[in-house]
Amino acid sequence: MACTCDTSKVETNEATIARVDAIIDRIGKTRDIVIPLLQALQQEFSYLSSTAVERIYEQTEIDRAQLISVSTFYSQFRHIPYGKHLIKVCTGTACHVKGAGNVYDSFIRELKIENGSITTEDKLFSIEKIACLGCCTLAPVVQIDEKIYGHVLPGKVNEVIEDFLLLQGNIEKEETAHARRKIAGEIRLGMGSCCQASGSSDIYKELLSASAQLGIQVNIKPVGCVGVCNKVPLIDVVLPDGSITRYPKVKASEIKEILHHHFKPAGYLNRLKNNFLNHVDTIHTDVTWDNVIWKSEHERTGVIDTFLTGQKHISTEGFGFLAPLHIDEYIAHSGFDALKKVLSCDRKEIISTILKSGIRGRGGGGFTTGKKWEIVASSLNKDKYVICNGDEGDPGAFMDRMMLESYPYRVIEGMIIAGYAVGANNGIFYIRAEYPLAVTRIRAALQFCREHNLIGEHIAGSNFSFDVSIFEGAGAFVCGEETALIASIEGERGFPKQRPPYPAVEGLHGKPTLVNNVETLSQIAYIINNGSDQYSQIGTKGSKGTKVFALAGKIRFGGLIEVPMGITLNQIINDIGGGVDGGEKLKAVQIGGPSGGCIPAHLCDVQVDFDAFNQMGAMMGSGGLVVLSESDCMVDMARYFLSFTCDQSCGKCTFCRVGIRRMLDILEKLCSGKAEMADIDTLEQLALNVKKASLCGLGKTAPNPVLTTLKYFREEYEEHVKGICKTGTCKGMIKYVVTDDCIGCTRCAKACPVDAIPYTPYEVHTIDTDKCVLCGLCVNECKYDAIHKVPLRSI
Amino acid sequence: MVITIDHESVEVFSGETILEVARRTGHAIPSLCYAKESVHKSSCMVCAVKNCDNGQIIPSCTTLPTEGMHVETDSEEVRLIRSLSLELLLSDHRADCDAPCIMVCPQGLNIERMLHYYDGGHFGEAYRVLDAAFLLPQIACDTCKAPCEKVCRRGSIDQPVSIRTIIREIAAKAYPTSPEAGKKGWKLDKNRFQSRIGRFTEKESALLKATIHTSSNCLHCTCAGQTGCKLRLFATEAGIKRSRYESYSALPAMQKIQVSGKLWFEQAKCIRCGLCVYNSEDGFTFKGRGFGMQVVIPDESKNNMEEEMAELCPTGALYILEK
Repeated sequence: MACTCDTSKVETNEATIARVDAIIDRIGKTRDIVIPLLQALQQEFSYLSSTAVERIYEQTEIDRAQLISVSTFYSQFRHIPYGKHLIKVCTGTACHVKGAGNVYDSFIRELKIENGSITTEDKLFSIEKIACLGCCTLAPVVQIDEKIYGHVLPGKVNEVIEDFLLLQGNIEKEETAHARRKIAGEIRLGMGSCCQASGSSDIYKELLSASAQLGIQVNIKPVGCVGVCNKVPLIDVVLPDGSITRYPKVKASEIKEILHHHFKPAGYLNRLKNNFLNHVDTIHTDVTWDNVIWKSEHERTGVIDTFLTGQKHISTEGFGFLAPLHIDEYIAHSGFDALKKVLSCDRKEIISTILKSGIRGRGGGGFTTGKKWEIVASSLNKDKYVICNGDEGDPGAFMDRMMLESYPYRVIEGMIIAGYAVGANNGIFYIRAEYPLAVTRIRAALQFCREHNLIGEHIAGSNFSFDVSIFEGAGAFVCGEETALIASIEGERGFPKQRPPYPAVEGLHGKPTLVNNVETLSQIAYIINNGSDQYSQIGTKGSKGTKVFALAGKIRFGGLIEVPMGITLNQIINDIGGGVDGGEKLKAVQIGGPSGGCIPAHLCDVQVDFDAFNQMGAMMGSGGLVVLSESDCMVDMARYFLSFTCDQSCGKCTFCRVGIRRMLDILEKLCSGKAEMADIDTLEQLALNVKKASLCGLGKTAPNPVLTTLKYFREEYEEHVKGICKTGTCKGMIKYVVTDDCIGCTRCAKACPVDAIPYTPYEVHTIDTDKCVLCGLCVNECKYDAIHKVPLRSI
Repeated sequence: MVITIDHESVEVFSGETILEVARRTGHAIPSLCYAKESVHKSSCMVCAVKNCDNGQIIPSCTTLPTEGMHVETDSEEVRLIRSLSLELLLSDHRADCDAPCIMVCPQGLNIERMLHYYDGGHFGEAYRVLDAAFLLPQIACDTCKAPCEKVCRRGSIDQPVSIRTIIREIAAKAYPTSPEAGKKGWKLDKNRFQSRIGRFTEKESALLKATIHTSSNCLHCTCAGQTGCKLRLFATEAGIKRSRYESYSALPAMQKIQVSGKLWFEQAKCIRCGLCVYNSEDGFTFKGRGFGMQVVIPDESKNNMEEEMAELCPTGALYILEK
């Protein structure tokens, strides 16, 4: 039932079955392991083949009903074979506002994928849209297999494909290992997912090979996310005297020069050194030398310094210098001190410290963390669980991924402390399957912790035992909701359950379960180490501590930031982010992703605060912060988020399943200019009632993007009814025209993917609006600014 | 435990949900996805009530009362939520309650029922239906302009059913042998809610044309499960005429599949409440999620299903078909 076709005829059925059996032996046969089992099968066979699925029915307790129900619920599972390479086009918020839709269409055209298929005829490529790759600062982003391409323009997709195929052809040269003598000083290089996406792996390889070639034996240290995503790849050169020189946006070709500049191979002519360096500094500031662009001192570090001032690092303490998996280094920087401190404390005392600190859950709802701990701790049940919720699914948010990748020990420490405080002996990391690096790092970190007796039996010589396992989510936004998350660990569809009973009382396998977000747990060690007073001094009356945001969209310097609560949105945008990109005017800030709302520019002096955001109809959410400029259409924004929640709704209750779809119908009508004034009222009424009567958090917050835009930008909805989209975003209401500035250079005609511009050299070009797909390639191509987007109807 | 329902204090028995307390104490609350003694998990929100303590709208069928709770079951707000949930369900419900031919027949002949017997070869039964509507069935439709044939859904696929010709045939064949003629009784209740199927898509037309070959050519649009249909009952009670949302539905119209024995399933009428899923073992299951979520039955599991399953279904999606 799950699959009907099987193209792998090369292998005999017996061989396939043997492989399936081996997996079943390894993973298990019970109903609750269905998700890990299917994940393992898919990894082995690249999709869930009918042979494999039939074998599951025969060999395990899993029946047809359960398997179909689960495998079609989670978007990770495939029922048809895919092409050799998978192209994932990110459609996260940041990518959406920067034209991800056009990029996807371009791939479809370029690869000649037709008739609603997703795979090319030669089975070389398959393509799919993905909610968010978490590389928002490189938007629009495309991932082909493991390789990530940032800033992909619709006109450049052919180059991306070529580059990828070329890369496949070159078998990577083996690195020569060199025994390295340590010399003072080191080079630090950010190696988070997004850094790697912008090429830091290449830089790392180049650093290794260049240092080997030059005979410079310097410690090259990959560190976690630096947060300065707008300037990556970023390397810090730490000199023997401890001074740091930063190189943002480094290219592989520049590495040799940088190494040369700072480190001299042993036996190098010392007497020349000073002289030479002085020369280099005077000559090579702001000039090109050997293809290396040396930026002036201020330009090099000024921006980053501005970006980092105003931030406060609690969750991201140790950013930029801690190697993610280096446990001794973490311990040397007072890591696990908090854990050792609590192990000798009374449990009630710890909980009261957390309560007093005023910390609230960072997952979105903002429930007081200490309260939750108290409820779980008060249960007399001997079996309790702590779950770290890392199912970060918001398009436009990647804080949790960064923290799991870069500060695994900090999150683990927070989890063990929580476990001790509430009296649980089992911890589970629930991490999205889309975050492979995070899973790898946590797995490795847990192993190191085990070796150091920080998890397992009698932790650090105490009476407390705590073990931690990892559960990989299979791709469902709704599993961020704690009851749905628990259902999915139990091997069911991610259907939320009616609360009460809350998971804190009756959760996983019916036992009291503490579910805390990654970011919440990463703040715990700070509170224990520094005391609740110091923590509660940071922030506002109702919101304490710091909050990590993913700053993206139309902003000059995007990235991952950690700011104290109480900072205003304007401060974040102007002081940290350097203002709106391209000098445009700020229109609104979308905060909280699909559960949040749009806060208009004139209200952006609001402080970062759970309650203040709620009052405005937005929500802290998990912390995506997308800056929107005058050229962004708010109706389209609302439509975008609704299409996301419509796709991610679990389908259990009427208002979320059908209500959101009907709202989306109306928004689609609006965006294509076919709506009537009455539709706006219908939309509003529906939105209010979906908010009221949906059963879980997803449905209750899904209307927020619509309600806030209706509240602050109603006139835009009314304009859309009249057939006008001032920003030119809604494709049904615009056309492209060529002005008299055109000199007939034919660049646009060559660029047009659908031949809507006839090839007429030296004549003013024309655009056939019937053929035009409004991809905007011609606009990018035109050197004379002669192609304009104009509304179909006059304003 | 004592709670307040619509300003009236009522005693709660152990284990009772709000819906059960309210119904026992005379407060009518409609519900679709609730089934006593069976596994049910809130889905439809037709049983919504308001928890006045925190202002939240809650599903009364699964919520357990707490001491001193104050619940509102009959306010303007609650009624709006209920009728909205019905309207939303109906906007994704591609089915006719009564066949269009029946709706337009000036004589009130239950044409679909008659054709049902005709297709099964039961001419006597067919004649009785005919006889219930006409004094002289032999000349019944001679002067009529046959609006029934004009609205016949088969007409949008290929040719409408030749209803008048079939009537003549039945009259001629069955008259001499038909016993107990003249049993009156059936009458179309025009006050009840009428769901409408809408236009067939091209694909559906082609599929129906290729697969439905009854001897009359009738598609049998009338809902075979309408006797126990709570969706229609509550829609009528809520005064709903038609769903106010333009129907975009992904459901395949008129795909009727035989599950086992007399048990049939028509997906386009399913409201995805999950009662059949939760209460069957390796039988009905959910497929997909969100708006596209369907209830399906894998071929291999059909035999696991019992006919009693039809009683659980709150709509006509699961029904017993007597041949």
